[in-house]
Amino acid sequence: MSLDLANALFAATAAAYLVASVIFIAELLGRAGRFGPWAARLVAIGVPLHAAQIVVWSLVLHVCPVEGIHFSLSVASMFACLAYVLARRRYRVDVVGAFVAPQALAFLLASRFVGHVSDEPRLRSALLPFHVIANLLGVALFTLAFGAAVAYLLQESRLKHKRFVGASRLPPIDALDRAEHTFLVAGFPLLTIGILTGTLWAREIEAGGAAAIARACLSYASWALIGGVLLLRAAAGWRGRRAAFGTILGFGLTLLVLATYLIRNLRPVSAVAGLHA
Amino acid sequence: MMLVVGLSHRTAPVEVRERLAAGADALPQLLARLASRRELAEVLFLSTCNRVEVFALPRSADGVDAALAAVRDELARHGGAPSGDALAAYQYEKRGDDAVRHLFRVAASLDSMVLGEPQILGQVKEAYDAALTAGTLKGTLGRCVSRAFSVAKRVRTETALGAGTVSISSVAVDLAWRVFGGLGDHAVLLVGAGEMAEAAARSLGNGARALRICNRSFDRAASLASALNASAVPWDSLAAELVQADVVVASTASPTFVVTHEMVKRAMKARKGRTLLFVDIAVPRNVEPSVHGIDNVYVFNVDDLEQEVARGMKARQSEREGAERIVEDEVAQFLAWTRGLQVQPTVVAMRAKTRAILLSELERSLGGRLKHLETDRAALTQMVESAVNKLLHAPTTRLKARAADGDDARELALAVRFLFDLQEVGVPSEPETDGAAATDAPADDEHLTH
Repeated sequence: MSLDLANALFAATAAAYLVASVIFIAELLGRAGRFGPWAARLVAIGVPLHAAQIVVWSLVLHVCPVEGIHFSLSVASMFACLAYVLARRRYRVDVVGAFVAPQALAFLLASRFVGHVSDEPRLRSALLPFHVIANLLGVALFTLAFGAAVAYLLQESRLKHKRFVGASRLPPIDALDRAEHTFLVAGFPLLTIGILTGTLWAREIEAGGAAAIARACLSYASWALIGGVLLLRAAAGWRGRRAAFGTILGFGLTLLVLATYLIRNLRPVSAVAGLHA
Repeated sequence: MMLVVGLSHRTAPVEVRERLAAGADALPQLLARLASRRELAEVLFLSTCNRVEVFALPRSADGVDAALAAVRDELARHGGAPSGDALAAYQYEKRGDDAVRHLFRVAASLDSMVLGEPQILGQVKEAYDAALTAGTLKGTLGRCVSRAFSVAKRVRTETALGAGTVSISSVAVDLAWRVFGGLGDHAVLLVGAGEMAEAAARSLGNGARALRICNRSFDRAASLASALNASAVPWDSLAAELVQADVVVASTASPTFVVTHEMVKRAMKARKGRTLLFVDIAVPRNVEPSVHGIDNVYVFNVDDLEQEVARGMKARQSEREGAERIVEDEVAQFLAWTRGLQVQPTVVAMRAKTRAILLSELERSLGGRLKHLETDRAALTQMVESAVNKLLHAPTTRLKARAADGDDARELALAVRFLFDLQEVGVPSEPETDGAAATDAPADDEHLTH
């Protein structure tokens, strides 16, 4: 595989996500006009390009795509875009693309310009692939849930302040609530698998230290928070605003966990592979 | 020259409009009667709640006044008036550019009572279909009406003339969409069974999973329910119904709140937080305002809805200028096209004569030798066609351009006919059918095909 092909795919993917992001934002502002429908289409075009870019790039570098946090985030954002493309019509959540596309662009760029693929034999384990893939898919679904939650709060604010008609391109509030719940329900078992495999893996490699413990605590907290959101919805009817805030907080904690890896990977000497709890 | 005779909500009261209106059943007969008038070449009859208009194309350029009189007479006859002048006080007449502009403005909903309302386009389409079926649209007028559809579409796409909501019931429907998307999986509850409730139910209840009516008088609720294919529920069960319903339309004449904060709080607990929308169109209000503060509950009263109607109307007015510009642009394009048609018979005659001369000369020179050579004959025919095109390209385009620019191309066309000694000396000022335009390059290869 040539470097040129990898670069061309990277550029095409980035262009698709960039233009989609711009159109999504213009659409939210009611200024996209006839270009509006192209935003979601561009994300749909970007997904196979992104997948091809990941495959070609990993062949060029001779590394597994899920090794290294930045590369993993790129894979997760590709999954998020794929889930978005599959779910947007069913759940009428086109607007969630306004969160998914810029994030995919950011992670794609980070995978290329910020990330350092590294390898450390000590960290290798049979659990690692399950751990990483579960977490990647979980993050992808939580990204969509987060997007739906933010859109919900925006639409809810419009309705509560009675700015309810006009040029809003936001989906119906009930559809956003349902979509957010569905993405959380789908993502929660994956998060659970990610946490379990991460815990077992950490024991296997005898990971320790304050950073690892803090990361584990954050992971457990995000799991408990998202689990709580789902439980309270079923048991006590916590829907809408409360569920949206819970989802945003849960996603924020998940991002914090990811941030601990990013910060560690930015240190020049450190060499850590994998995404683990 | 196209013309229109009509009356609308701007010029005639409903008592006059309803006398002239024609339903789908009466339309074929009316069109047949209009088409039978020798003064009229093409006719379209548009009848809506707010307008009755006859668009027509006179049989000849000199017969515009006679055509207008014929339409006036037929309209008066249809409305039971003694003569064409009887309706003069209510009618307007437009001709030429103004008639084309009027049709485009009507189709684009610029002349509607509710600016930008979408129904008018469908009504123009129905009138067009009826005229096509009756065979009263043959050429230029038919082309003008189909062009009006494109104008309306352009206005919809390029401006926000149709955006926003401009009636209480459409705001209510829009609200239900904002909250639930569609009502297919949701239940609507009417609290009150008056006229307002009925109007709201006709808008909201159509696509709903269930429609229930709760009224102090159960008989009245039952009567309305049977008319709307809904179910009536007793007044005492209002609190319980709040648990089942997703959209509640309140319109009772009660002087106090019918739906209280406490009632909704309890209902929301039982609903496990499922979203609940109140559309309170009653004055005094039926739903306690603090209900809007409960999570996942939204209350909109008549002021909220009317504000939105006013906002929608204002937004549409701001789009009027852009829409009018589109109409002017399209009128200019259409008129350029029709003016181009004025010289079409001359162009056709010029090409036919040139082709005939070339083919005749070819036959005379090579006829005997080409008798058995089909391939050569086809090639020579093609060559003649090509020569006609090249020879007449400049005069054809210049003649058409002069006509399209709005200059009077009649004299130029007469000069061409004189110079080329073309047989038809008179140049019709208006083509009778689109067929004239389609005969731009007739295949007259008789000389070489036998």
